Amino acid sequence: MAGAGGGGNDVQWCFSQVKGAIDDDVAEADIISTVEFNHSGELLATGDKGGRVVIFQQEIENKSQQQCRSEYNVYSTFQSHEPEFDYLKSLEIEEKINKIRWLPQKNAAQFLLSTNDKTIKLWKISERDKRPEGYNLKEEDGRYRDAATITTLQVPVFRPMDLMVEASPRRVFANGHTYHINSISVNSDNETYLSADDLRINMWHLEITDRSFNIVDIKPANMEELTEVITAAEFHPHQCNTFVYSSSKGTIRLCDMRASALCDKHSKLFEEPEDPSNRSFFSEIISSISDVKFSHNGRYMMTRDYLSVKIWDLNMENRPVETYQVHEYLRSKLCSLYENDCIFDKFECCWNGNDSVVMTGSYNNFFRMLDRSQRRDVTLEASRESCKPRQVLKPRRVCAGGKRKKDEISVDSLDFNKKILHTAWHPQENIIAVATTNNLYIFQEKVN
Amino acid sequence: MEYKVEAHRIMSISLGKIYNSRVQRGGIKLHKNLLVSLVLRSARQVYLSDYYSGACLNAQSEREGNEWDITDSEREKFPPSATECDRVESTEETQPNEQPEKEREYRENDDEVKSDQVDCTSTLQEQNQNSSLDSVAKVSSETPPESITEPKESPSDSAVAERDSTPEANGESHQPPKTHVCSNRKRSAEESESGDSPQKRTKVASSNAKEDEEAEEMDTSNVSNLITIFGSSFSGLLSKESAKPEAEAEDSGQICCDQMLKNLNPWSTAIVAF
Repeated sequence: MAGAGGGGNDVQWCFSQVKGAIDDDVAEADIISTVEFNHSGELLATGDKGGRVVIFQQEIENKSQQQCRSEYNVYSTFQSHEPEFDYLKSLEIEEKINKIRWLPQKNAAQFLLSTNDKTIKLWKISERDKRPEGYNLKEEDGRYRDAATITTLQVPVFRPMDLMVEASPRRVFANGHTYHINSISVNSDNETYLSADDLRINMWHLEITDRSFNIVDIKPANMEELTEVITAAEFHPHQCNTFVYSSSKGTIRLCDMRASALCDKHSKLFEEPEDPSNRSFFSEIISSISDVKFSHNGRYMMTRDYLSVKIWDLNMENRPVETYQVHEYLRSKLCSLYENDCIFDKFECCWNGNDSVVMTGSYNNFFRMLDRSQRRDVTLEASRESCKPRQVLKPRRVCAGGKRKKDEISVDSLDFNKKILHTAWHPQENIIAVATTNNLYIFQEKVN
Repeated sequence: MEYKVEAHRIMSISLGKIYNSRVQRGGIKLHKNLLVSLVLRSARQVYLSDYYSGACLNAQSEREGNEWDITDSEREKFPPSATECDRVESTEETQPNEQPEKEREYRENDDEVKSDQVDCTSTLQEQNQNSSLDSVAKVSSETPPESITEPKESPSDSAVAERDSTPEANGESHQPPKTHVCSNRKRSAEESESGDSPQKRTKVASSNAKEDEEAEEMDTSNVSNLITIFGSSFSGLLSKESAKPEAEAEDSGQICCDQMLKNLNPWSTAIVAF
């Protein structure tokens, strides 16, 4: 794998923090299933398989300094979803948080959407740093006073208290999906959002929980004719009428909601013809798109399939403008990866703030930074061994075959249980959050 | 030849995955099962195309010697399917309940393809007759599906196997029936594949997709076919059965095999009682 120097513009990444248990025995409930920065980057939310959401807040040590070392500390933890049981189908509904999406901040409180397989919830996270004291009729602990004992009258006043962060569910959007929800995306109009499952996409209004509008339905009349499912969907960052959804066949459809109520006919279809020389039993699996993300400027979108990352220009449908191989050395191992189920892993991808670099995860706790402007890429590792404060991450190299050079790791030594599926990039700064199985690593750009 | 072995192995692994997905927490993942079924189909194509080109027959073929007169297309499948089924079964000897699941899968496939419907009807009627000869001990969660999926092409064989079998020998005696079931699936695959070969090439062909979706989608038409078949023999069960497809009409695509299993139990009990 190529690994020339650091990331773009010779950014060097160094370790900042790691969150989570150290021991190797990972409890299944602690497995991180989603990571998301909010729009300012001040808050970082993670969801796990146990249905919990943990929010970290960036503490700015010294606001006057430009590139100060800032730390993320736990801000709020709450149980978002619980396991449920569908009695009609005799099926358990997992509490695992599939996605978290922040709403843009409108007032002092923060709002986020979190979803499991079936239900989306809108959570309000608010701070409380004062409380009323000095009630006439109530004691401090809440017990009511005997009216006969009251001889004086006072006006209750607000007094400061220790900061308390409260999370409360404001809306529960239930019963909208028959299949497993894989994506949610907030619209740029800040009033609606979409949720996508394997066969349908619904549009909701944030205020209305008992109704949703079906905008895409690819369920065939005869389920025997099913050939593809929806794997991800996202609203355009600026055009509130436009959204895209990706499929298991490696296609992306862009839809315009102004065209018709039900957007079954796409406005654009993005598809790259398959390379016949790479045909194998598993060609269809590895072409399935696991994530689709618009660039911040709304001109491009990025898709992740099993072996590569592709950047598409929204104006060109027949092929991507850029293709990056994430771990091409795995192509010869597809059969083993099929056996151990790794071939079904759904890797996510993300853009940096100015759309010049993209990042995605791989195995062995490796993650890849792909610099679009400089056409350079680097492989880095999230491991406890590089955990000294401000320790610069060394580029890693994987040896596909032949003689293994020093510092290279051979493909057969890769640990396929250590996978980085979820990564997030701070919207403005060079701070990244990388989730291993049950740990969250935060890396920052090296400051001199 | 290596392709055949490899394809066979991939098919076994795929079937194992489809089965395991049914007991996974959170229900069946439609996406993953779709992908697995695509791999299964690709492997099956390779496996069968290998056989077409004259891959060697194994000892299993002798057991179905009398079927060779039936059709050439059926003959093609028997040895490979027998091998596959045996392999699949041997890995699951300790899990008898898995076999019914696979049986159902195969049976669903067969039910979907029109060309098999006639066979289905005749076979199931024969099998119903055979079932009536079964000992009561056979009526368990394991046996109903197996008795239902008994051979389609060799009623005489199956009848013999059924009568001779004892509860302990259930495992072995069901092997020939399973073989035929597997082969039926392949035959239907072959027939539809040959018709769609121009379109197939690299991408998923709708007919193939159809078949593989059968493996994972327990949907209304499946149950309707079964109802039609059963209805011809047991009209008294019709009202009960028709209630079930409505319940499954809004199936989330997640296989209700366990539900189907429960559905079949009362039917098979009725069959035996009949």
